[in-house]
Amino acid sequence: MPTELSLEILPNALSQIVDSVFGTMLNLEAGASEAPWFLSGDHLTAAVHLMGDWNGALLLECDREQACRFAGRFLSTDPPSTVDDDVRDVLGELANMIGGNLKCVLTPGIRLSLPSVVDGGHYSVRFCGAQVCARVPFQCDDGPFWITVLGVGDGSNENSV
Amino acid sequence: MLNEEDLSGNIVKRARDTNMRILIVDDSRAMRMIVRRTLRQAGFDGCAEVEAANGREALDQVQAVAPDLILSDWNMPEMNGLELLRELKRRGSSATFGFVTSESSPDMQVAALQEGALFFITKPFTADKFQSTLEPLLRS
Repeated sequence: MPTELSLEILPNALSQIVDSVFGTMLNLEAGASEAPWFLSGDHLTAAVHLMGDWNGALLLECDREQACRFAGRFLSTDPPSTVDDDVRDVLGELANMIGGNLKCVLTPGIRLSLPSVVDGGHYSVRFCGAQVCARVPFQCDDGPFWITVLGVGDGSNENSV
Repeated sequence: MLNEEDLSGNIVKRARDTNMRILIVDDSRAMRMIVRRTLRQAGFDGCAEVEAANGREALDQVQAVAPDLILSDWNMPEMNGLELLRELKRRGSSATFGFVTSESSPDMQVAALQEGALFFITKPFTADKFQSTLEPLLRS
């Protein structure tokens, strides 16, 4: 039986998890902000799916330059000049760590997928039957990024994000 | 955060003297690099490190280099970390095995320990966590 998600705790839990992941792996303080959502332009989306007693997905999204800076910090190198496999790998791992920790505060019995990364411009990501449970903008010294949690309901609320 | 200057020289010396071979298994190349760096920061800079991108590659590396210690991710293509652990036990491997993974739920930690994993390091991790977890393994 799928578990009802407590939407009230989600933004706070996300903030704590993101702060921990970014602080530990990137040496960056990241806090929830009021940055407006962007829908156009070149950017990257890293996604992990949560499956089992609760079904959904977690997305980490930022622009290309931001993703390169994250990769540079993660690998302790100069930021790559363009998005390459390392940049996509790092963004996927960041989403994986956030999703892995998030599933522990949701409910037992959730499995985590391998991360996937979309890289391009003017695209939308569609998860059949999913609706946005939370979209939290974050701000760090390297700029803004967004975390979105999608939950799969009864199939009647399909959204693209 | 631990840095190399903070480390006990004895720990570093022990790692060098034992010529420990460590196998790092993770499908993320970036994460394998971070695990290598964290091992050095935690005092395992004298160890020989080899890598594999999934459980099947890890089995080949185990046969080739007979690692003393295996640090494995959980979610990987081809063969995941738990399947790798089960196969190693079936083959009679004596390598010390532990997980370094984002899969941090208690039920999975219990499952890992029941299958014979000796430790469970959750991502994100620090060098301090590596040292406090792995140092007892050097002592033994």
